[in-house]
Amino acid sequence: MDRNVCVIAGGMSKWGVRDGSQRDFFQEAAKACYDDNPQLNPKEIDGLLVASAYTERTSYQTHLAPLVAEYVGIQPKNICARVELLCASGSSAIILAFAMIKSGQADVVMVAGGEKLYTPQKWEVFYSELASVDHDWDGGQGLGLPPPVFAMVAKQHMLQYGTKKEHLGVVSVKNRRNSSKNPKAQFQTPVTMEEVMSGRMIVPPLTLYDCCPITDGAACLVLAVEEKAKQMTDKPLVYIRGTGQASVNNMSANMPNWTTWEALKIAADQAYSKSKVDPKEVNVAMTHDCFTISEIIEMEDLGFCKKGEGGFFVADGQNDFGGQVPTNTDGGLLGCGHPFGGTGIRQGIEVTRQLRGDAIQQVPNATVGLTHNLSGFIAAHTVLIYGREVA
Amino acid sequence: MSTPGISILDGKYMVTMDLFPQQSKEFNQIYKFYEYLKEGRFTTTKCKDCGSEPFPPRVMCPDCYSTNVEWVDWPTVGTVIDVTEEAVGVPLGFGKPPLVHALVDLDGKKTFFVRIINCKTGELKSGDKVKLAVFDVDPVPQEFGREVINIPRVFYAFEPVK
Repeated sequence: MDRNVCVIAGGMSKWGVRDGSQRDFFQEAAKACYDDNPQLNPKEIDGLLVASAYTERTSYQTHLAPLVAEYVGIQPKNICARVELLCASGSSAIILAFAMIKSGQADVVMVAGGEKLYTPQKWEVFYSELASVDHDWDGGQGLGLPPPVFAMVAKQHMLQYGTKKEHLGVVSVKNRRNSSKNPKAQFQTPVTMEEVMSGRMIVPPLTLYDCCPITDGAACLVLAVEEKAKQMTDKPLVYIRGTGQASVNNMSANMPNWTTWEALKIAADQAYSKSKVDPKEVNVAMTHDCFTISEIIEMEDLGFCKKGEGGFFVADGQNDFGGQVPTNTDGGLLGCGHPFGGTGIRQGIEVTRQLRGDAIQQVPNATVGLTHNLSGFIAAHTVLIYGREVA
Repeated sequence: MSTPGISILDGKYMVTMDLFPQQSKEFNQIYKFYEYLKEGRFTTTKCKDCGSEPFPPRVMCPDCYSTNVEWVDWPTVGTVIDVTEEAVGVPLGFGKPPLVHALVDLDGKKTFFVRIINCKTGELKSGDKVKLAVFDVDPVPQEFGREVINIPRVFYAFEPVK
């Protein structure tokens, strides 16, 4: 008999440049998660997967999962381990929790992700990130913090497809407007197109508002097998329908194409086919807007619009409320911030709320939602599809 | 930057977990890449069984999984496809902004995204030629019995052909 997997609770700490430690944020996220579903008895959680990328470097803490279990008051008996795929650590943990439950290895699994990235020496954040790419080859070229990479992507996309700086600006304005309504987001104020277009230069053509910030914070999600989920919540059940994760290269010299992300197309195809969903059926999406240009290419390579038309698609409002596929309705990375291990879980929380019908900014009648992360030097892509019904 | 209390580091906080690889044969089996680099050569490993020339160089062929590999020279001059200039967020150890990078076609071998040095803002354009530039980086202090030895290191960028 098929075991179906549902999301039954989710919550996050306040994200931003935070006072506190990594373990503080995991407790805040767990508390928000428990508060989201008072019917959930945390003692019934039988598995824990923790997503964190820089825990050793910035919190000097390995063997993180048992520590988080102790602090959030659970005693897992089927799995208690950490998962790392940099910016996609959280989504990877959700995929693995889904697989554990689907296969009968666990019934109720918490997925918790987060980071304390700002150390007392703030310059260390930029320095530590040289571990995010192929350290020996791309790190030595100074490509740890990725703005030059995405600036090159943007330049090439503009050249090939006529994408404009104003198109990038539309993404910033939309996601900052959404984050200003999300009390957990790092940025609480909207920005105007004028502010965006005159933003401080980072790497041309990318200016300040094209880039997501560095963020402290954590997020939690609890998944359960359908039979138990029905007993553990009165809210509408949200199912994970299918997933995909692909990598075709790691070092920059092996990138097959800078403006069409082959691994994203593969991961999306896998997720769509396992979920029995067509791109046109996706009602709401959280895509990896680490930079504005990323969201534009993701619209194309996820199949929401034709190749090369991403800039025009967003400028036409097609990925905003009222359009074809409202995207990053909680503010995305540009608005919420990006504590690497937390991001995929934050996306899962927002999609769950959209499908349950209790999002802060609700997409009417949303029944199918998608999340996407890219990670490293655009070296891996992760796609999950959620739905009000099973695949 | 000094590191009080860690005497063997001798003020070299950066090289304990830094951006440049460990290059000596004790710590890296592709140490020959760096030895050739010191001679101004840009090399990789070629599989003697299937002929594949992957980059980065490695111990095992990723196509036929043979470990029967040899070192071959690659071109040291390439053509610029496009340029980026990083004004803000340059990591420690990479000098003052802008940090220039270029997408470089290395004579059809691979397209490299590399740092460009000895290059002024706005100087480099699509179609320009760039060549390999090798420079010294901080040596790694290593405990050797009761002594501390400094293992020399190099790394590479590209620079405009003038």
